[in-house]
Amino acid sequence: MKLRILLADDHEIVRRGLCALLQKHEGWEVCGEASDGREAVEMAKKLKPDVVIVDIGMPSLNGLDTTRQLMAHDPHFKVIVLTITDSDQVIREALDAGARGFVLKSDAARDLVSAVEALQSRRMFFTPRVNDLVLAGFLDKGHVVARNEPPSLPTLTVREREITQLLAEGKSSKEVATLLNLSTKTVETHRSNIMRKLSLHSIRDLVVYAIKNNIIQIQMPESGRPAETTVA
Amino acid sequence: MPHQATGKAMAVRILLVDDHPVVRQGLRTLLQGRGDWEVVGEASDGVEAVEKVDFLQPDVVVLDVTMPRMNGLEACRVIQQKHKNAGPEVLFVTQHDSPQMMREALDAGARGYVVKSNAARDLLEAVESVSQHRMFTALAGSPRVPN
Repeated sequence: MKLRILLADDHEIVRRGLCALLQKHEGWEVCGEASDGREAVEMAKKLKPDVVIVDIGMPSLNGLDTTRQLMAHDPHFKVIVLTITDSDQVIREALDAGARGFVLKSDAARDLVSAVEALQSRRMFFTPRVNDLVLAGFLDKGHVVARNEPPSLPTLTVREREITQLLAEGKSSKEVATLLNLSTKTVETHRSNIMRKLSLHSIRDLVVYAIKNNIIQIQMPESGRPAETTVA
Repeated sequence: MPHQATGKAMAVRILLVDDHPVVRQGLRTLLQGRGDWEVVGEASDGVEAVEKVDFLQPDVVVLDVTMPRMNGLEACRVIQQKHKNAGPEVLFVTQHDSPQMMREALDAGARGYVVKSNAARDLLEAVESVSQHRMFTALAGSPRVPN
C-alpha cells in the first residue's frame, strides 16, 4: 500500500516542485494538494493522509495553526512543517503545535524525503538547530523553553488565532464572518476579546502583534522598502 | 534570439536561476509542458547565473530576485552589460508582487516579470513572449500585459 501524502503550500510552483520530488520515491503518492491552511484541514479530514506537509506561510490559516487544528482533530496526524526560517520561536511553536518534522524550504530538496521516511518509520525529523533546541530543552528540566522570551499567544483560543490572522491580513469583520461561516456580530465580539486579551488598541497594533508572533510575515524587497504583507 | 535549427522549429534554451532547488524543480516541471523548449541549466545565485550565461548561451534566463551572493537585479544588469544586444532575454519570476520592484527589474534590462504565486498561470506565456523579444509583465492583482 502506498504512503499517501497531502501537500499544503500557497505557491503552485512550490507544490509542483515538491510533488516532483516526492513522486520520484517509489511507494509514495501525493493524494492531495491544498493552497491554504483551511483547505488543508478540510482535505486532511476527508483524505486521511499518512503524512501532511504544511508550509508555515499560508494565507487564511497559517501552517502552525493548520497543524494545531489537525492535531486537535486527530493526534495521529503526522505533520511536517516547511519553513523559511528556523528561529527559536518558530521551532518552539511548531513543536508545541505537534509537528513531527521540521524542514527548511531552502533544504527541502535535500531533507524532505528523509523527513517523510523518518515519519514513515515512526521517528521524527528536525534540522540541526531544532535538535539543539530540543536537547537544550531536555537538559533544562525536560521542557523546551525559551529563556528571556515571553510565551507567544498566551491566551488566544483556536478561533481567536484564526480571526487574528484574517484581520491582520486586512479582512473586514464582515469578510471574516463570511469566510468562517459566522455572524458579523460574533466576529466583532471575538475581535473585542482579542484586543482586550492582548491589550491592543487598533488594527495597526494587531498587525504588529501578528508579525511579531509569526502569524503573518512582511516581505522586504531588495532595496529594504516594506512591501506587501503575507502570512508567515 | 532562439536558436534556429535548419528547417526546424525554433527551440528556446532556458537557464533557471533560483536559490531554492524545489522552486527550480517546479519551474522545470511547468516548462516541460513545452516539448520544443529545453532547460539547458540551473543556477542557485546571481554569480553562478552570470557564469552560466557565458557558458551556456541560453535564449531566456528565468531569474529570481532575492538570492545569496548576487541578487537577480544585479545579475540582470551584469548580463545586460556583458552581452549588450546579443544577450539572453531575462524574465523575472519572483515573490515580490510590487510595481516598484517590477520597475526596477525592467530598468535593469528584464523583458518580463511574473509573480511566483501566479507562475503556474503565467510562466509559459511569459517565456513565449520574451523569447520573441516581446515584453510580458503580470503582477498578482493586475491584468497581464503581453506586448
